[in-house]
Amino acid sequence: MAYPYVSDREVRVLSKYFGDPTHRRVGTYVERGGYQALKKAFEMGQDAVIDEVKTSGLRGRGGAGFPAGVKWSFMPKQPTKPHYLLCNADESEPGTFKDRELMRWDPHQLIEGVLIAAYAIRAKHAYIYCRGEFFETTQILAKALEDAYEKGYVGKDIMGSGNDIDITVHVGAGAYICGEETGLMNSLEGRRGQPRVKPPFPAAVGAFGMPSTVNNVETLSAVPHIVTHGGQWYRQWGTEKSPGTKLFCVSGHVNKPGNYELPLGFPLMELINDVCGGMKDGKALKAVIPGGSSVPILNAEECQNCDMDYEGVQAAGSMLGCASVIVMDEDTDIVKQVRRMVQFYAHESCGQCTPCREGTGWMTKVLRRIEEGRGTEEDLDTLLEMSRQMTGTTICVLSDSAAAPVVSSIQKFKDEYLALIRRGERVGVA
Amino acid sequence: MSDITLTIDGQEVSVPKGTTLLRAAEQIGKDVPHYCYHDGLSSPAMCRLCLVEVQGAPKPMPACVTQAMDGQVVETESPLALDMRRGVLEFYLVNHPLDCPICDMSGECNLQDYVHAEGRDHGRSREPKRVFGRDDFGADVLFYGDRCVMCTRCVRFMSEVERDQRLTVVERGNRSVIDTFFDRGLEGTHFSGNIVDLCPVGALVSKDFLYKARAWDLDHTHSICPSCSQGCNIDLHTRDNLVQRLKPRENLEVNAFWMCDYGRLNYEWINHGDRLEAPLVRHGDAVKAMGWKDALSSLVARLGGVEGGVRAVASPLACNEDLAALKALVENLGGGDIVYRMPRAEDEIVLKGFPTMARRRDLAPNGRGADLLGMKRVGGDDGSGGLEDVSDHRGVVVVLGDALADQDADFASGAAVRVYLGTHSGPAAAAADFVLPVTTFAEQEGTFTNHEGRVQRFWPALAAPGMARPAWLVLGALVAEGTGGETPRRADEAFERLVATNGAFAGLTYDDIGTRGALVNDTVPLSGD
Amino acid sequence: MSDVPFKNPGWAGNTGEFDLTEDQVRGDEFVGSRPGGGGHPSGSATYPYMLPDKDPTAPLFEGAFKERFEKILTRYPNKQAALLPTLGLAQEVRGHVSAQTMDRVAEVLGLSPAYVRGVTTFYTMYNKRPVGRFLVQVCTNVSCNLCGADDVMEAFLRYTDTEVGETSEDGYFTVIEAECLAACGFPTCVQINSRYYENVTPADVPKIIEHLKAETTGGE
Repeated sequence: MAYPYVSDREVRVLSKYFGDPTHRRVGTYVERGGYQALKKAFEMGQDAVIDEVKTSGLRGRGGAGFPAGVKWSFMPKQPTKPHYLLCNADESEPGTFKDRELMRWDPHQLIEGVLIAAYAIRAKHAYIYCRGEFFETTQILAKALEDAYEKGYVGKDIMGSGNDIDITVHVGAGAYICGEETGLMNSLEGRRGQPRVKPPFPAAVGAFGMPSTVNNVETLSAVPHIVTHGGQWYRQWGTEKSPGTKLFCVSGHVNKPGNYELPLGFPLMELINDVCGGMKDGKALKAVIPGGSSVPILNAEECQNCDMDYEGVQAAGSMLGCASVIVMDEDTDIVKQVRRMVQFYAHESCGQCTPCREGTGWMTKVLRRIEEGRGTEEDLDTLLEMSRQMTGTTICVLSDSAAAPVVSSIQKFKDEYLALIRRGERVGVA
Repeated sequence: MSDITLTIDGQEVSVPKGTTLLRAAEQIGKDVPHYCYHDGLSSPAMCRLCLVEVQGAPKPMPACVTQAMDGQVVETESPLALDMRRGVLEFYLVNHPLDCPICDMSGECNLQDYVHAEGRDHGRSREPKRVFGRDDFGADVLFYGDRCVMCTRCVRFMSEVERDQRLTVVERGNRSVIDTFFDRGLEGTHFSGNIVDLCPVGALVSKDFLYKARAWDLDHTHSICPSCSQGCNIDLHTRDNLVQRLKPRENLEVNAFWMCDYGRLNYEWINHGDRLEAPLVRHGDAVKAMGWKDALSSLVARLGGVEGGVRAVASPLACNEDLAALKALVENLGGGDIVYRMPRAEDEIVLKGFPTMARRRDLAPNGRGADLLGMKRVGGDDGSGGLEDVSDHRGVVVVLGDALADQDADFASGAAVRVYLGTHSGPAAAAADFVLPVTTFAEQEGTFTNHEGRVQRFWPALAAPGMARPAWLVLGALVAEGTGGETPRRADEAFERLVATNGAFAGLTYDDIGTRGALVNDTVPLSGD
Repeated sequence: MSDVPFKNPGWAGNTGEFDLTEDQVRGDEFVGSRPGGGGHPSGSATYPYMLPDKDPTAPLFEGAFKERFEKILTRYPNKQAALLPTLGLAQEVRGHVSAQTMDRVAEVLGLSPAYVRGVTTFYTMYNKRPVGRFLVQVCTNVSCNLCGADDVMEAFLRYTDTEVGETSEDGYFTVIEAECLAACGFPTCVQINSRYYENVTPADVPKIIEHLKAETTGGE
């Protein structure tokens, strides 16, 4: 199956049926082995499922990289209150587009993953919090869910097992900050989607004050496969600390942008040159953002020996995040792109914490001024100071995320800033 | 709750488990700067100003929500903590208009204080500031959006304490601002004045107090609100011998940190001029002003030998000491009934988030005190009528405080002697043979007894005009003249005398009452209930 | 359904692996359209963005919409949690969320109007003012920006003859900048009402606009 581009280096576990719309039909899904993992999970028992996921080493695919099995084990084993599983489908990180594809091509895989996870954490109700802009995607998901209900895979007494699990598709309304787990919970409760202070942690006080677990779409989509084949099987790919496959979302100046499912630890340069068909128009590489706009930018030199797993990218000086690789060629105007990213954070900041609320706005204004040729060298020092004051002082890490591209770009691409400041010259064109 | 020990700034502190670092630091006198935290509200930890350094923690922790742990080592003023707070304060000032010269809050502003103590000495922002302008929220509140630091105390107060969510944060990010539901504002709320107290900067200001006086010119005096029988603890803020505004004072057993709008704005009457300044004695149609000694001896002479006993009218605005002295005088003159009138509102307005406190139906501070001293409430809910017996009396008629606004010119015209102790001339003074000027509660020391029987002290904030004296002093002197005994010279002596002669107050002293109040022993039901 | 070509090479239909057109993939057969009454309660909150014939004064919570509203309420433990789906439902009918709409929503959910205002204004997708028949949201965030999003934006403004955030004279188009729409592999992505248009270049813009104008009762 070809969607949109496929590389023979891919290991298509989750993305096997991308591009095949017939896979949305519950009948087709079941024919291809669907909902067998759920059955097996019920037979294994809740703790065994958690152990299996722990063995697999599956790390949260939403950007934090926290081991999913460990997260599930935080939930009380003897529920005294209702538990909730929340699926984070509020994909808004710039550069990331894997969850949308997962939901629209393989909705049943996600539904099955949600069911297994809900079963494991003793939850009777799961919410899939979808981004408001995903109209088509949520309709696909809603239809798939309706079919699954009809066939008895969701709802009361699933497949005669005696387990009751309900799923609701909840639709957001356009706020990046609702992708943060506590922001998501607040938004689900019908409030402004502002993150909460932790502690208390979601496993103690979550949605509606009840113990909850939040997992990303990709994480939950991997669960049926892990249950079917075992945690050890999942470890055949990736590295010791970052096992399994990952959907890499490559965008920017490459010939074949798109989603590629590859084992973790895949070398970045091979990803760009081999899998994605190399740089567009044969231009030279200038910079890569390896994990969505919230992580530091890597310059071309740092990309050379960068392996795409959590440890590898950290060693190269950035973070893997959600593995959204944004590739920038030699003609890129770094200052403009950084300004656009900071503008994004200023627009999406929830406004609770002063460093973020004021800092993102202030940084946008300074960067705009630099872009217009009215900056001073003092501004660069101020930006670095602001970034330092915005890191580690807030409730959530949006503020840190806004500071990351600023700090890394000033450190690594200072000449572009200085060209604008000293001569009003833009180095790049795009 | 077992106690745990931790070290703050090198000092060991023992606190109950579950105490936050902010409270623990308070115990050793360290005030960590904060905006969004308030003892009476929830803690969202969003202002990020109370960051302190905790050994072993990866980043600075907000002291208002971080729980103290056994053996923790905390630095509130380490270089890291100060640096973080300085950074956060800089962000506060990026868009703040710095219009201290025209801002009411200047002088009592937390932003001024913190920046002065811990902030940068100059701002580094060269960008144009965002502007929100001035917004009238209705009721007594004006909102200057530019000054707002987004601590959301006001929003949380309306939502959690008044339980009438009128305020909200609109938009998000640095476009966020506090607003009401369009034009609906705060109309119909009863406690919204408290958000002006809560606002740490000059974003929410009182329309009543706008541009009236500078904070540093004001004197603060502890007092009790005279507008209803709840007895909220307040401070009178005065300047030029006038009350400029009322502010609530903390008392967790009476009013927590709050007061109602009705009481808050009901202070103009204290400033009302045209006071009685000298004792007046009427001989036929002529009225003569005289000094106290002469007036009192003249009165004593007139009182001697009058038959028929006494009928007295008291006021629930008079303090316990005044009322007790009136009772002593009446007994000394052969006994008689003492009545009082009190306006009563149709409903009680409870503060839902702190139901101990309400704007009570009895719209005077000392009705309970009067009841405990054996006085009877008469008249209607509008505070008028009920004085037929007094008006028909032939013996001595004494009126303390009640201005007799509803009575006509021949009130008690058949009485042998009519005495009026009051603050202003008016029908009562016109109907009296002896007019004795007394002080308002704001000009004397005394106690009120609130609806639940709590005796609370208040202190003098204003200088009494002319020769006006506290009623207990005047009445005590009268009794002393008559019996040849000693008159109390100080309020606490007057209180001691009250305690000695009235069982309900047994065992209480001014020291017991302190600034928090103390309950009486009696369970006399409220008159009229 | 539109016949604006889906430009992504390797589209399942294009490769010949599946005998499908884009219409089929995005149409009723494989996507399904949501019935007015909401279908199964589990998906009752999913809705088209705005009805083509939106009416700012239309009654809310009547008929099929009432049915859907009640289904939505059953999925949450309290009424407050149903606020976002309810606002979305109100916007579907009326096209934007006005003060009166906020008041009505507050009434049916037992919340204070000021609270509803606070929540509504927090989220980008609730239109605070009426918008044109087609709300054109052009992603100008990093990935699309690298591939010429600003030019696409400028083309839309030129061909619809409006300013950013304003509605065109004929009332058809409102053009705004959007943040990342999660279609970064297909730059530039433009969302028009409920529908994503991917791989849009400035040359495609006039074709898209003509196509939209030609729609009478509007397809989503």
